[in-house]
Amino acid sequence: MIQVKHLRKTFTSHVKEPGLKGSFKSLFSREVRTKDALKSVNLEINPGEIIGLIGANGAGKTTLIKILSGIVHPSSGEATVMGYVPWERSNEYRRQMALIMGQKNQVWWDLPALDSFLLLKEIYQIPQAQYKYNIEFLAETLMIKDQLKTQVRKLSLGERMKVELMAALLHNPKVIFLDEPTIGLDISAQKAVRVFLRQYQTEFKPITILTSHYMEDIKELCPRVVIIKEGQFVYDGSLSNIQSMMGDEKVLSVTTQDKTFKVSIPRHELSSKTHQIFEENDVLDLNIQDPSIEDVIESIMRNGVRPT
Amino acid sequence: MKRYLNLYLHFLRFSFSKAMEFRLDFTFRIVMDILYYAVNIMFFKVIFLHTPLVAGWTQEQMMIFVSCYLLVDAIGMTVFSSNMWWLPHHINKGELDYHLIRPVSPLFFLSLKEFSANSFMNLIIASGIMTYALSTYSQTFSIWEVVLLIALILNGTLIYYCCQMLMILPVFWTQSSKGFMDLFFSMGIAMERPDKIYKGWLRVVFTILLPFALIASFPARLFIEKFHWPTFLHLMSVTIGLWMVMLFVWKKGLRVYSSASS
Repeated sequence: MIQVKHLRKTFTSHVKEPGLKGSFKSLFSREVRTKDALKSVNLEINPGEIIGLIGANGAGKTTLIKILSGIVHPSSGEATVMGYVPWERSNEYRRQMALIMGQKNQVWWDLPALDSFLLLKEIYQIPQAQYKYNIEFLAETLMIKDQLKTQVRKLSLGERMKVELMAALLHNPKVIFLDEPTIGLDISAQKAVRVFLRQYQTEFKPITILTSHYMEDIKELCPRVVIIKEGQFVYDGSLSNIQSMMGDEKVLSVTTQDKTFKVSIPRHELSSKTHQIFEENDVLDLNIQDPSIEDVIESIMRNGVRPT
Repeated sequence: MKRYLNLYLHFLRFSFSKAMEFRLDFTFRIVMDILYYAVNIMFFKVIFLHTPLVAGWTQEQMMIFVSCYLLVDAIGMTVFSSNMWWLPHHINKGELDYHLIRPVSPLFFLSLKEFSANSFMNLIIASGIMTYALSTYSQTFSIWEVVLLIALILNGTLIYYCCQMLMILPVFWTQSSKGFMDLFFSMGIAMERPDKIYKGWLRVVFTILLPFALIASFPARLFIEKFHWPTFLHLMSVTIGLWMVMLFVWKKGLRVYSSASS
């Protein structure tokens, strides 16, 4: 169970003009700029639930995850994860939590993955039987058995991500934060990671928060999504409902002699707009569709939620 | 406790297997280290060519003191130095993240995980010098006095570590690349001089505020001159105070740690 109430986080930074002159000036007077990474957000996640957190770069996804995993202190507000306040960093909480960041490594770079796993076994005090079972289960479902004795730096990006996933899940966490676990992976590796995550979710039922820029990840794994824009949640609900939020819109894909473009049009203007397009262009092909989830989410991220 | 010991054994295993891979570096380091020790011993030998006593100590007493600080330095080099080198980098680049989520003290992890197997030879040479200094010492002493001396040297290493940390931790606020590490290294020389040479306010600084004189000089003095309770209590209370200040600053630092984003 995760409960978040009025959580805020503000970062401050100096503004420096470019160049040496700017550096010199900033020695004496500094303009301080504050940025609200999170503006009073509320969230509730039930046991066993997996949610997708979507938003543009800098929208506050990672900040939320870092607060909930106890790395960063919030500026104000409350949050509890299974009854623990994350930033108090109690060992009981940390023993049940896992964080995976697609862009930061946790396994020892110069050593085979199995060495890092042994260290983690010690850190989390994983009993031998559980350790053996997990290595077996994880390596098998991720199909990475043969690479565990190779120095991690010699692995490919996809293999490394799999190793990271293994490392993070060895201790059977009850809460998992996944920050872009598929970033930079090729299609088949992405797919493997997704299949694995779903299998893991069915087998162990942890609470999971997943962020990703790949809509495929979200579509396959998360029945519920939260869309975050400039530090605020603009949508929190089921993925399937998202489409109906733009129920009165249609998307026209038009191909002419020299270009292809898409326009979204309110349903009642459909015939007049289509007519206009035919008049203004030499149309080769025209297609009328419901907006795709990607389109809707993009539009929400751009314009916020529209009343239906 | 046993768990932390086990973890440390893992760190040792890791660093030795890593160090074996770089043989040239290994030999080069040994040559450098031997030179470093030779220079340090020569420095005092030269002084004693001109005077029979320095800060109240004869040449053989001075050798004991020199071996004390060489040993502290060797332990520091092997156990902490790599970690201290990387710490500001980790803080600035937001690489503390994975250490903060583990159910283990992040301070333990960040201070000890990189054992410098390369500098291991330092430990052997420095211990050798200490054994030599003790075996040629003309006064009588008991085994317990040697045990106490070694315990106080370990305590000195702790002081050395705390001082260094206090120079690094401002990085949490300044976001500079090294903190005041340079200051630490230039002031570190203060530990390589007998404490008796510090008078007045300088003595307050080096025996209380930044207690470099307590690292090797106090242990050596407690061994050479007879055991002296006030000196011992001074040493202990400053150590405890320093340790608490360091922990306090560390905790404050973590509060402002903003974890540069990925």
